[in-house]
Amino acid sequence: MLTPLNIAVIVKLEPDFSEGNVSYNPDGTLNRAETKNILGPHSALAASAAFYSKVRYGAHISIGTMGPPNADLILQNAQQISDADETYLFSDRIFAGADTLGTAELLKTGIHKMQGKMDLVFSGHRASDGETGQVGPQTAWKLGFTFLGNVIDYEVDVEKRTVRAKRSVRLQGFYDIVEEVEAPLPVFIAIDPSYKPIFNTASQRLACEKYKKEANDRAQNFKQYLKVFNAEQLGADPKLIGLAGSPTIVFKVEKIPKGKAGRQAEVIDGSSKEEMVRVVARLRQALSTMVIK
Amino acid sequence: MTDGDYRHLYVVMEQEEGKLVPVSLEMLCEARRLMDDFNIKYSSNEKVVALLLGDDVKEISKDLIEHGADVVVLADNPELRYVRNTIYTKLIAQIVTDQDVAAKVESVDVGNFKKPRYMFFAADSVGRHISSTVLAELDSGLASDINKLVIEDLPLTHQIKTAGKPLIYEKTLEMYRPDFSGFLWTTILCLDNRNPTIERDYHPQACSIIPGVFETKEADHARTGKVIEYSPRFDQKDLLVKILDRKIMKSEVDFDACKTIVSFGRGIKESPEENVKLIEQLASELDAEIGISLPLSKKPISINQTIDSKYFIPDRVIGSSGRKVSPKLYIAVGISGAIQHLTGMKDSEFVLAINPDENSPIKDECDMFIKGKMEDVLPLLIENLKTQKKVVQA
Amino acid sequence: MEKYDVVIVGGGSSGLAALKQLSNRGKQAILLESGSKVGSKSVSGGILYSKKPKKANVHNVEDVYENFLSDAPVERKITKYILHSTSKDKVFSMDLTSAHEYEANFGYSVLMNKLNKWFADQANESAQKYGGGIIPGVHVRDIKWDGDKTIIYTDELEEIQASAVIASDGVNSEIANITGARKKFSPSELYQGVKVVVKLPEDIINERFGISSQEGAAHLFAGDVTLNHIGGGFVYTNQNTLSVGGVYHLDSLLENPVAPYEMINALLKNPMISEFIKDQVPVKKEIDKSLSKEEQIRIRFATTKLIKSWQETRDAILSSSGRDRLIKSGKYASEDEIRTQLSSLQTQMVDKYGVTLETDYVEVEYSAKLIPDGKRGRMKNPFIKNVLFTGDAAGRGIFIGPKIEGLNVGIDDGARAANAIADALEKNNLSHDSLGKAYSNSLEESHYTKDMKEIDKDYLKIFLVAAKDIPKDILSSKYGMIIKLMSSDKLRNLSVGFANILGYEKLLPLVESEETYVKVPMELADRLGEKITSSYTLTIPSIATRIGKLNFNDDEMPHIKVIKPASNFMKKMVTLCPTRCYSVENDKVMIQHEGCIECGTCSEETDWKHTRGEKGITYQYG
Repeated sequence: MLTPLNIAVIVKLEPDFSEGNVSYNPDGTLNRAETKNILGPHSALAASAAFYSKVRYGAHISIGTMGPPNADLILQNAQQISDADETYLFSDRIFAGADTLGTAELLKTGIHKMQGKMDLVFSGHRASDGETGQVGPQTAWKLGFTFLGNVIDYEVDVEKRTVRAKRSVRLQGFYDIVEEVEAPLPVFIAIDPSYKPIFNTASQRLACEKYKKEANDRAQNFKQYLKVFNAEQLGADPKLIGLAGSPTIVFKVEKIPKGKAGRQAEVIDGSSKEEMVRVVARLRQALSTMVIK
Repeated sequence: MTDGDYRHLYVVMEQEEGKLVPVSLEMLCEARRLMDDFNIKYSSNEKVVALLLGDDVKEISKDLIEHGADVVVLADNPELRYVRNTIYTKLIAQIVTDQDVAAKVESVDVGNFKKPRYMFFAADSVGRHISSTVLAELDSGLASDINKLVIEDLPLTHQIKTAGKPLIYEKTLEMYRPDFSGFLWTTILCLDNRNPTIERDYHPQACSIIPGVFETKEADHARTGKVIEYSPRFDQKDLLVKILDRKIMKSEVDFDACKTIVSFGRGIKESPEENVKLIEQLASELDAEIGISLPLSKKPISINQTIDSKYFIPDRVIGSSGRKVSPKLYIAVGISGAIQHLTGMKDSEFVLAINPDENSPIKDECDMFIKGKMEDVLPLLIENLKTQKKVVQA
Repeated sequence: MEKYDVVIVGGGSSGLAALKQLSNRGKQAILLESGSKVGSKSVSGGILYSKKPKKANVHNVEDVYENFLSDAPVERKITKYILHSTSKDKVFSMDLTSAHEYEANFGYSVLMNKLNKWFADQANESAQKYGGGIIPGVHVRDIKWDGDKTIIYTDELEEIQASAVIASDGVNSEIANITGARKKFSPSELYQGVKVVVKLPEDIINERFGISSQEGAAHLFAGDVTLNHIGGGFVYTNQNTLSVGGVYHLDSLLENPVAPYEMINALLKNPMISEFIKDQVPVKKEIDKSLSKEEQIRIRFATTKLIKSWQETRDAILSSSGRDRLIKSGKYASEDEIRTQLSSLQTQMVDKYGVTLETDYVEVEYSAKLIPDGKRGRMKNPFIKNVLFTGDAAGRGIFIGPKIEGLNVGIDDGARAANAIADALEKNNLSHDSLGKAYSNSLEESHYTKDMKEIDKDYLKIFLVAAKDIPKDILSSKYGMIIKLMSSDKLRNLSVGFANILGYEKLLPLVESEETYVKVPMELADRLGEKITSSYTLTIPSIATRIGKLNFNDDEMPHIKVIKPASNFMKKMVTLCPTRCYSVENDKVMIQHEGCIECGTCSEETDWKHTRGEKGITYQYG
């Protein structure tokens, strides 16, 4: 009797950066108080990757997040995407301010609290605010799982208990590589932003619709599937989580001196030879300045 | 922390099929600059140590030394040909905590070496993940996507780190990263907890560095250094992760590597072949890659087969449904500036547009707008670029 | 290969009705739809009718969907139906409500995206009970017969085997093309319909059109608004939007090409319509460019957010359901509180950010589609082997004068196709001929087929009664004879009977002429019409803005190829494509695919296909 695949997804509450929803302070920093929070787009993609396993393999899915009490709404959203069977909110004031190492420690503890031993854990590639992309691999390391990043496609051999994944390796200034990897479970997968779950038979598509409907129904009653844990209940080592367990701090935040000026085009007469000399000089100047991305 | 516990800057190199990925040399040069200043400022003799892992990569060591490494630690083994996260992470962590290696690095017995003082990784697909897992294994702090570095003695009062007392953290690496809005620099520090209730050391101070932000200097053939060969030990379990296949997606078109991009749109229609040749010349003068606007990829203009298959392809499309680019210099030739296209290039540093129509939308997204037909403007521009280049070289 | 009893291609109202009916009969069926969601590519005028013809029968929407009347998200029940003749600023109105109510249970205004989604939910739920369901994001590219197997090829899935196929893939049916079941419709067999959805709060609609929230009005327009084309315009009231559009004979448009968006603009500028659609619109102030970039962005985002709040609150307070919802949510204790909040938001908008409130109209979606003229173009044998064609795919729809019925025909066809197949499955006889013939016979029995073939004399009578006050001399000498023939019941019955023997097609050029749709209405308006002034100047969005608002998922592979780049027809497409996909370069017509809404206007002289699954246009309203 094959044990069903047991899957966890870790997700994050992030600000909604879309116009009409985001608010900025006069100094250009994000006004978090005025900006709505949503399920981060990379987290949403991770949830859809888990959904693929739900449809293909009938996997059992748990979603977890470390966040404030109102992060339960993103768990609802993630449940709707993935048809999760359970959701977990790890919430405690002591968790706040943790850097990636502290967060990874907490998430590892949280995943251990979830039902059953995990075969696969999914996370997004990075968050749309912090954007370090470190929490995924660090959590994987603490769990002792093989880490596969930038996954664009995956399949599970439920009998052999292995995962086959295609990864996109971008070396910047080099060519891109698509690598096909096989690893024994358990595996931690960070989903590449270009991932899209593909179902290519009619029966898979029909199953998809069935599970989508189940997901909607569950999401309507999401509180029923939600468990909330604070620090004590999780049994996390207070020295390794939160600010105490965080090696790094934000020291200061300042304006990048050479900000991009608002574009005000200077119009040049294309037939003027003198003007062209000036244009070329300006181009050379533009090319020689340091890139500040 | 006692002196001698944490020493040197270890930089993790990246290579692909025996060729160094450019960011490796960029990191080394910056490492050299920092440690030269460091050694002067603190009257010390700490080293830049390059970690080179791979299969049959020994020859690269020389290049690394000539670009600033004092020592190269070389782990050469077929199992290391391609990066497998667990294997690389364990190996790197082993090497950087290995006291024998540390002794060889300094040719002096520094008995209590624990870990590197600083570590650099590349902020690309490989380095961002390796850096994360290595630092998780080393139990220390990592700042990612860094584009500026400074070493300072910093006075700090912090509720958690210093229990509210004013202390000085010496030889602290300030790691600057641009935030998501693009306006702000956040400075990250990796600091020991000197608060007696939660006291612990956090070393190495590590970061991953954005490719393309630091300049590579010319190789200094006079430089010498050490090569330490390290024999890796592998856990059988870790070798069960297999790489089954690797396909190079050599997009002919690598916009990210280019400082300049020249794009063209349907403005070429009056004499397509002549205009494309002019654009090729312009691109060649500027060492630029060539992009197109979306409509051209649907091949609406009849043109010879060579140009058609080279340029009118989805891979070259810049826009919301194509590639997004942010070069130093972006030149839009005969592009009116549909919203879809603007989305793809608006993050460019300097934008020049050439278009006969002063009312085209691209004017609002450019810094300089040359009003004129490309047939007239491009030859002038190319000529001037050639002339000014001669002046510079003279 | 996976096998299913029935495969339905196309998730419009016809295909969905077929799926639901097959489930009603306990049969397994899957439906393949190319849009990413069912309804995303649907467009309708539109009004959905349910009929009770005296003789013959039809399958009405509420017969197929048992909970339609209680649950379906329809817009408004049309209770007023008025035909206007226009000439510049004069309008002559004729109340045709009795024509609209003729043999009708009801006519509801609808927005297709919403309604088809509902149809889909119902049909899908039922279909799943029998091992079937709806699969969106799939584009069928071929059908082959191999012995007794029917194999369906798609761009996205592995092959599927089917026992029977229902082709409900619309007026540009690729299945018809692939199987050779019929030729493409010619321009004289087609209408081009173009529409904009205009936003207007519910209470304002009620007040302006003289109806309650449960009632609706349909206004039709002929005369100078058609810019000399054969066809007419319409304004339908939805819950809190208006559908404003026109339907014109394609051959009339080819003869005198005018861009579809210009046709819409002509309608919008008509003073009566302008007055129908107007509302209070917030206009942002230009941001001071001397401020820092961050400050400019902050102001821009803050203004947008504030306007959004104001609009949401205003929309809610001006709708009965909105008011209830806000109070039930606990956010407000009373309607007065909501009004106070609205007022405060308005003050903030105006005083703090310099927003001004101007009279204008709010256009939210532009769309177009081709409509087959059932009178001229319907398939006489709408099947080939075991593939049955329904609705627009079979060229079936009723369009004569103010009588515009497409949705109900498609639903009836879908139900009949489903029944024919269900019968065949039960008798275990799916032989191609018997299935096709059974379906064809069933269609002949439909009252709608009758309406496509013959004039209904009783319907005609209503028209004549409504028009009785028109001075005889206005109707030109052409009609004089006809008027005499229609003047008494007996004469009328005889003449209609005779006309029906002659054949509808012979009479149509007389009725469907510039005379009827342009000249006569203009004269009516000039002589008998009321003067209407519009109190403001509309800000009509450019075609680029209209296209910019539409949601496209660009398909990298081009889906349309120009076959004859130098032909006159293609040159006219430069004007007639609703989203300006064609341009002329060096005397050759070139196409750009970005922005194609797949209406099919150009399909006659192109290798025309739909986009692949999930690609192409996605409408919000439909």
